[in-house]
Amino acid sequence: MATAHKSETGAVSGILRSPSLPVVLIAAAVVIGLAALLPLVKSSGATSIAGTVHLLELQKADAQARVRELEVAVARLGSLDRIEQEAKKRFQMGPPKEVHYLRVEAPAPQEHRLPSRFLPPQPHHTETGSSLWEDLFGWVPLP
Amino acid sequence: MAVGTRGLNTNWRLWAVVAAMALGGVIDVLRLAQLQILDHQQYATEARQTHISQEIVSDRRGALLDRNGYPLAASEDAFNVMVERRAWAQPDEAATAASKISAVTHVSTPEILSLVAGTDVFEVPVASGLDYEQATAVRKLGLPGVRLLESSRRVYPEGNLAAQLLGFVGHDGAGLSGLEADLEPTLGGAKGTLTFERDGLGNQIAVGSRNETPSQPGANVVLTIDRLIQRLAEKELQKAITAHKASGGTVIVVQPKTGQILAMASNPMADLTKPDLSDESKLALFRNRAITDPYEPGSVFKLVTASAALDLGLVSPDTWWYDEGVVNLSGWSIHNWDFSANGSQTVQQILSKSLNTGAAWLSSLCGPDRFYDYVHRFGFGSPTGIGLSGEAAGQVRTPQNDPDNWRAVDMATNSFGQGISVTPLQMAMAVAAIANDGLAMKPQIVKEIAGPGGTQAIPPEPARQVMSADASRTLRQMMGVVVNGINKSFLDVQGYKVGGKTGTANIATGTGVYKPDAYIASFVGIAPLDDPQLAILVKIDEPKDVPWGTVVAAPVFGHIVEASLPYLKVPPTEPVLVSNLP
Repeated sequence: MATAHKSETGAVSGILRSPSLPVVLIAAAVVIGLAALLPLVKSSGATSIAGTVHLLELQKADAQARVRELEVAVARLGSLDRIEQEAKKRFQMGPPKEVHYLRVEAPAPQEHRLPSRFLPPQPHHTETGSSLWEDLFGWVPLP
Repeated sequence: MAVGTRGLNTNWRLWAVVAAMALGGVIDVLRLAQLQILDHQQYATEARQTHISQEIVSDRRGALLDRNGYPLAASEDAFNVMVERRAWAQPDEAATAASKISAVTHVSTPEILSLVAGTDVFEVPVASGLDYEQATAVRKLGLPGVRLLESSRRVYPEGNLAAQLLGFVGHDGAGLSGLEADLEPTLGGAKGTLTFERDGLGNQIAVGSRNETPSQPGANVVLTIDRLIQRLAEKELQKAITAHKASGGTVIVVQPKTGQILAMASNPMADLTKPDLSDESKLALFRNRAITDPYEPGSVFKLVTASAALDLGLVSPDTWWYDEGVVNLSGWSIHNWDFSANGSQTVQQILSKSLNTGAAWLSSLCGPDRFYDYVHRFGFGSPTGIGLSGEAAGQVRTPQNDPDNWRAVDMATNSFGQGISVTPLQMAMAVAAIANDGLAMKPQIVKEIAGPGGTQAIPPEPARQVMSADASRTLRQMMGVVVNGINKSFLDVQGYKVGGKTGTANIATGTGVYKPDAYIASFVGIAPLDDPQLAILVKIDEPKDVPWGTVVAAPVFGHIVEASLPYLKVPPTEPVLVSNLP
């Protein structure tokens, strides 16, 4: 009995004295610490991503504004007043004093089409070709 | 005893402290109840106002395009610089920030500072209408309490072209006049809202709460107007007004087969780029006189009278009639414009010489019922339904709608376009009906609507068959003869045969008398004569030198036709001008 008692006491004290206890405690502390950090990391990551998204949205808005400004600039460049001024200044052109008509045996040029920037986006046509699986099954000699 | 007294004193003090603490506690609880329950709404609102910002989000306003897709009115992004008042509490820091903003926006530093100091609201705009480059420069400054608010600005690449027709938009971007107002639901799209949490500088918190109701962009509207013909019409109109010192005028160019309006020009012109809403006289310039201002058309109306008589089979171009130079009706005497008596004349000569007495005779052949039936068939007396607001109906007095005042002499004067009021558009559409084998088309100003949901084309819409195709063709040939009689120095269209009719009308004052020494000179015409592609009305108000439509208005018609038909790829009809390629 006495031996057995001694042996149990020795086992407990062995565990207590074992060098693995601090390791376990430290490990537990690390796990708890990491678990506590996880939401922080997640939150930090979400914040970072949200910030990036916000920045990209701003860049997109900027780019759209720039595109619209350029569209208007193109329209101004194509205005009749500007074309007339350029024709007068750069090419010394003026209204014709006499008009001669020539009969040309060729079809008339096509009508103006609306510039695509002012048209709604065309519906996206997806390729309806066979998939890889369909191609594979195509090789199988099915009846 | 002493111990007992001390114990009582101690108890009293203790209870006093407890009572004070209890009272304090009760006061705290009551105050908390006031803050949290009674005044909850007020404080919650204040907190929301401090942290939550809500903006109305507008998407891009649709553009107004000419028939070939060239923008006449479009929108570009503009930016307003907003400054949060509390962020500029320190005067020296505020002055530094204001001077930096001033360098970019060209708004003076004192003005910026006074705007910020003089407001009670959270933030105030200190500069508006910045373009993209300026906005980028302001953003790069990185100033505290400064943010950019995106807005929109209407731009007109063709300047003031078709100003009265297009109209203008207000500061909020909504259309206030013309097509901008009439097509507001189409052009404006749908507004959205953006609710977000903001930081101390007023900027949106990236991970804060955010609720967005997306806006919808407006649709682009393709008009039937051709910018080149519109510009040509405006320039020729301006030239005629300047040359004859006229007070104003109108030109309308119509495609007879479709009823599409290619040009609608009015003068005096309005300034689209800087509309002055405070000045009534300048605001009046935005009235689209082509549809809002009825006038007495004068001799051009003889075409309507001749149409009725020809279509009813009462006369032909060669029918003879004897002109005594005067017609007496209801105690009134009607004379020709030159007080001439021409003797035997044909119906063709009635038109060519523009005889008032002859027109009165033609109307008497028709009789009031049939004459006014044709007047109404041509669309006079009711709006054309073009879809522009403010369109006038004109005034046609008949035995039916004004039995007490109508006299036989009224029909006689109506037959040569006096005592009857029409709008320039009604007159142009009547001529277009003659050009289109008697089929009147509904005037069309919108050709297509290109929105996010797709493109919707507006088809031409026939209104009614006014007269037979045969009678219409006969009248067109008569109009050609009328033009042949006009001096070549006033009307000589190279390469094309054209037809038309001149008019010189008195101007009614509205008090039952005519304005002394004031006239409206007009010309209506079609081209080419055999297969009309254009019907044109030219109306010049109060020319000071000569009143005659032949001298004042016909040259404008000629110049427009000569430039427009080759542009529209209509081959010339007179072969002498055409040579074949070797």
